[in-house]
Amino acid sequence: MSLEYISKILPLLLKGAGTTLSLFFIVIVLAIPLGFIVTLLAKSKFPPLRWLSNTYIFVMRGTPLLLQLVFIFFGFPIIGIFLNNTFDAPMLANLFRLERFQAAVLGFTLNYAAYFAEIFRGGLLAIDKGQYEAAKVLGFSRYHTTTKIIFPQMIRVALPAVTNESITLIKDTALLYAVAVPELLHFAQAAVNRDFNLTPLFIAALIYLVLVFVLTIFFKWLEKRFRFQ
Amino acid sequence: MTMVKANNVKKSFGTTEVLSGVSFEVQKGDVIAVIGPSGSGKSTMLRCLIDLEQVSDGSIFVENNPLVVDGVYSSGDERKTVTSKMGMVFQHFNLFPHLTVRQNLELAPKTVKKLPSAEIRNLSDMYLEKVGLLNKADSYPASLSGGQKQRVAIARALMMSPDVMLFDEPTSALDPELTGEVLATIKKLADERITMIVVTHEMGFAKEVANKVFFMDNGEFIEEGTPEQIFNTPTHDRTREFLNSILK
Ligand SMILES: Nc1ncnc2c1ncn2[C@@H]1O[C@H](COP(=O)(O)OP(=O)(O)O)[C@@H](O)[C@H]1O
Ligand SMILES: [Mg+2]
Repeated sequence: MSLEYISKILPLLLKGAGTTLSLFFIVIVLAIPLGFIVTLLAKSKFPPLRWLSNTYIFVMRGTPLLLQLVFIFFGFPIIGIFLNNTFDAPMLANLFRLERFQAAVLGFTLNYAAYFAEIFRGGLLAIDKGQYEAAKVLGFSRYHTTTKIIFPQMIRVALPAVTNESITLIKDTALLYAVAVPELLHFAQAAVNRDFNLTPLFIAALIYLVLVFVLTIFFKWLEKRFRFQ
Repeated sequence: MTMVKANNVKKSFGTTEVLSGVSFEVQKGDVIAVIGPSGSGKSTMLRCLIDLEQVSDGSIFVENNPLVVDGVYSSGDERKTVTSKMGMVFQHFNLFPHLTVRQNLELAPKTVKKLPSAEIRNLSDMYLEKVGLLNKADSYPASLSGGQKQRVAIARALMMSPDVMLFDEPTSALDPELTGEVLATIKKLADERITMIVVTHEMGFAKEVANKVFFMDNGEFIEEGTPEQIFNTPTHDRTREFLNSILK
């Protein structure tokens, strides 16, 4: 486990960690609002929207994320999506990788939005109906009631579960390995195979731990801000 | 001037009739105490007035604007206009826990009425002063006592300058030693001739502050009169029974 060896493999591992982090942030930023929209649809007065939303949540939570990713990566091209991703276009190799990443973002976002939707639904259930009544009596529109009164309270209730889900997401990014998007675990594993040395795995583990640690600190801080005292 | 007029208001939850044809009028400056056994429909009546419950039949007018006529509701905008003339204070305060006291007061004037912020600040200072909580402006509701919370709720309702204030048992959720400060605040409003309908179990308060008392039982208005009439010379047996049961 020489320092020299570590400094040799570290750049690649960090590059992988970069992919992991980008995926994480993009998915969080997209999946949380999408999840909230799905929650609102599940509460809609229009039954088809409710069915749609509930079916979506059921399917996304009821099948493995890996299956969904494999479906997007290998099923979508078959039905004509990503047609320009042909292997005989080497000059498009970079573009190809980019699009793989986008496909991964799509898969993760759709999946995590369903989980966030369930978390938010729980958060909404925890809000007293007196809050809606006070809002109505003061003349708030439905939109303002949702954004200014319900949403902040729902976030507070949902935050611990959102923290959990986010930590799971950091680790789930390793699923990219299965669909050949090079991320942290991919580079670590490649180095292990090449060098017959377990050090890269330990470093990868350390990097995951650091990411999770920073995330935990961040959410602790957020929870404090949402304590309203 | 007639501020609120209810005519033959009926309300059922499923097959249970909770209001069976309630009629009354409230004049400008009236302080009405509504008394009656628990489950007699007092809360439901108030909630129908401010459109938190839908009536099954009957009419409600606020300052001659119809909320509902013979069971047919006005358009959505009209309904909002009518209910905006009233403010309501709940038994359980229903403060917004994620906002400070001042923010609780200022959110509605800001987002609903879109008043200029300097004007809003003046209003919130004035009403916090009035309920004696200016020093709590930056506290969150969680750190207040029940009595303080209810005074904030009163100030928050006043911020929208309602013509009529509705109180649904404003002191019932409070420890006995905290009811006084809330009742004193409501009395202050009464002294300013703010029109109010107060559902209450505080008979002392009803006697002292109200100029009219409505007695409700079993979804009906049984009798109304001045506090002296209701408390000293009630004409109905049910009123007498009720007063005996609670004054014992
Ligand atoms: N949302 C509701 N659904 C069904 N029944 C209700 C509902 N609200 C009130 N009731 C019933 O209506 C009756 C009157 O209730 P309420 O108006 O709260 O009485 P009060 O305020 O005088 O105690 C009670 O029997 C109560 O159980
Ligand atoms: Mg009641």
